[in-house]
This record gives sequence, structure tokens and C-alpha cells, in this order.
Amino acid sequence: MKKCTKCGNEQVIIRRKASGQTLCKECFIESTTLKVLRTIRKNRLIERGDKVAVALSGGKDSVMVLDILNSLYKRNIIDLFAITIDEGIEGYRKHGVDIAIKNTKKLGIEHRIESFKDYFGKNLDDIMADRRREHGACTYCGVLRRWIINKIARDEGATKIATGHNLDDETQAILMNYLEGNIDNLIRIGAKTEPKSDKFTVKIKPLREIPEKEVGLYVIARELEVHFGECPYSGESFRGEVGRFVKELSADHPTIMYSILRGFDKIKPALKKEFSKKDNIAKCIKCGEPASHELCRTCLFLRKLKR
Amino acid sequence: MEVTVIYNKTKQKKEIQENSTIKEMLNLMGISSETVVVKRGNEIVMDEEKLHNEDVIEVIRVIYGG
Repeated sequence: MKKCTKCGNEQVIIRRKASGQTLCKECFIESTTLKVLRTIRKNRLIERGDKVAVALSGGKDSVMVLDILNSLYKRNIIDLFAITIDEGIEGYRKHGVDIAIKNTKKLGIEHRIESFKDYFGKNLDDIMADRRREHGACTYCGVLRRWIINKIARDEGATKIATGHNLDDETQAILMNYLEGNIDNLIRIGAKTEPKSDKFTVKIKPLREIPEKEVGLYVIARELEVHFGECPYSGESFRGEVGRFVKELSADHPTIMYSILRGFDKIKPALKKEFSKKDNIAKCIKCGEPASHELCRTCLFLRKLKR
Repeated sequence: MEVTVIYNKTKQKKEIQENSTIKEMLNLMGISSETVVVKRGNEIVMDEEKLHNEDVIEVIRVIYGG
């Protein structure tokens, strides 16, 4: 009979192949929470008195971040609020936004909900239906969403923006950028961003060492309300291919994602020393947000769609 | 033996070989156990556990491709 490695309970819910541990529900929740808090401490992601904005989509990753950071909020270590962006994706987004609202209401956390339509006059579905578009949905969605989140975080006086990137996301990003030879992006990967402008808020990734499957298990074990679903625009992507490759490797090499992450973290200082460029960050002439060219990417995208 | 499987908001009865594990059932359904969390009744269970006759199994997809 299998037993929880920590307490001996026979109702185990996970065998962590990487460590050999088997855990019951309570010990899994406790051990995962401690692991996230250790990531926060080790990388100095949060300091006492920080005002943290959680980028809350309503999906499992961001709901888990909110749940764990709420424990710091309740102990008056940090101030906390959530930002949800409604990109305008018919048949998909509304459920996530509703779930995000339920979670913040339950915890009594301030919540800003903003939409592409209100900020840019068009939603993601409009952009995707536009013949003038030059990029895929994820590019528009990521750039426009970051623009709004950064603006709100600054307006609200946030000192950190917490995102739900998990171990799978992080290892995929490392391999993807390496395989594409995109060293500029590669050296930006990490637990915490180092903004090139004081108009950008520091972004942190508390779930960076938690495998995606364990994030799913955590939210179900904690009985949190979460939006599970697939974005209709998430088609075949290189990230998806890399993700499948890593999953296949993980079946026989259960520690592979951790070794990819640890190896990268070790060589990153040397890579940064060798390849860091000094970007001239100025102001976008249209919106005033930080930009490395005349126009920021958001205003550039919107201008091209207006032509 | 027969088990009831709830997946993707649909409930269906499945004839499963005696002594099958949850993972074997998922494989037959073409579902990777790495992408789902499984509940028997109200309890989360590991995919290596054996199925029993008349089990009600809920399969919750937690990882989507992309």
C-alpha cells in the first residue's frame, strides 16, 4: 500500500517522479506552497511592503499565484490586487473573466478589469479578422495585453507584476529561444525581469519551479474555481512542438525540466555579460509609453491596422 | 467490469478489463495521463491505481496544447 512520504496517509494523490515522493492532498498542498515561497525568497521576488499586481486570467496558473500570494497579503506582508484583461475572444474569454471575478470577490481583493475594446477600440477577434494584420494572434495578444497591464500597474503604484509562468513554460522558453538562436530573448528569461525603463514594473514568476501538471493538481486539490479551456487561437506553434518534445523526454528522464532550468540559470550571468546590449529606451511619440523606436510595438501594430 | 467516465462534460459507461489501471483506461481513450487530473468519486487518485467495478471516474483536463 502506498503511503504519503511525509505523514503516512494512505490516500496519496501524486508520485513526484523527480523526487520519488508520494504525497497526500494536504502534504502536496503544503509542500507546493512552501516550494513557491522558497522560489520567492531565493530570488528575492517580493519584499515586505511590495504592492503586487497579479495578472489574473482566471486560468489555473494565475489563480494559483493569487491563492499563494493571498497568504502573504493576509499576513500584511504585501499589498495585493489583480488585473484581468478581456481581449475579446468570442466563446472563450468571458468564462475566464467571470472566474477571475469570483476568485477576487471570494478573497476580498481589489480587481481591475480592462478590455482591448476600451483601450484600442477593437478586440482580438476584430484584429484577427482584419486582412491588414501581419502577425499571429499570440503576438498581438501578448503585446497589447502587456501594454495595458504595465500601464495599470504603474497607475496603481504596483511595485511588482506577478504572472503564472510555470516550469513547463520556462523550460519551453529556454529551449525555444536557444534553438531559434534568439539570444536577446534568451538572456531576458528569469524569475524576475530587470526593466530597462522605470516606467516598466518588475515582473515576477513565483510558479517558475512548479510543473504545469502540479499547478493543475494544486487548484483541484484546493478546490479553487478555475477556467480550464483552450484558446481558439492557440494553434500549432513552435512552443507547442518544443513542449511535446520536453514532455516525451520527461517520461524517461523525470528531472529533465529542472536540469534545463538550473543549467540555464547557471550560465545566464555569463551569457548576459557577453551578449547584453545597451538599449536606448525613449518614449513612444504616440502614447508616451517606453519604446526603443519612435513608436512602441502597440502603437506600431495599431497604426498598421488603421491604414 | 463497467465504469462510468465523466470527461469533457459528457458521462459515458465503459466496459473495462478486470484489473485495469486508470492509466490503461486513459490510454484506451487516447488521453495522456500527463494532461489530466483524475477523481474517483470526490477523491483525487493517481493514474497507477486500479479501477473497480461501478467506479465513477471524473477526468479533468488541466493541460492544453498550444
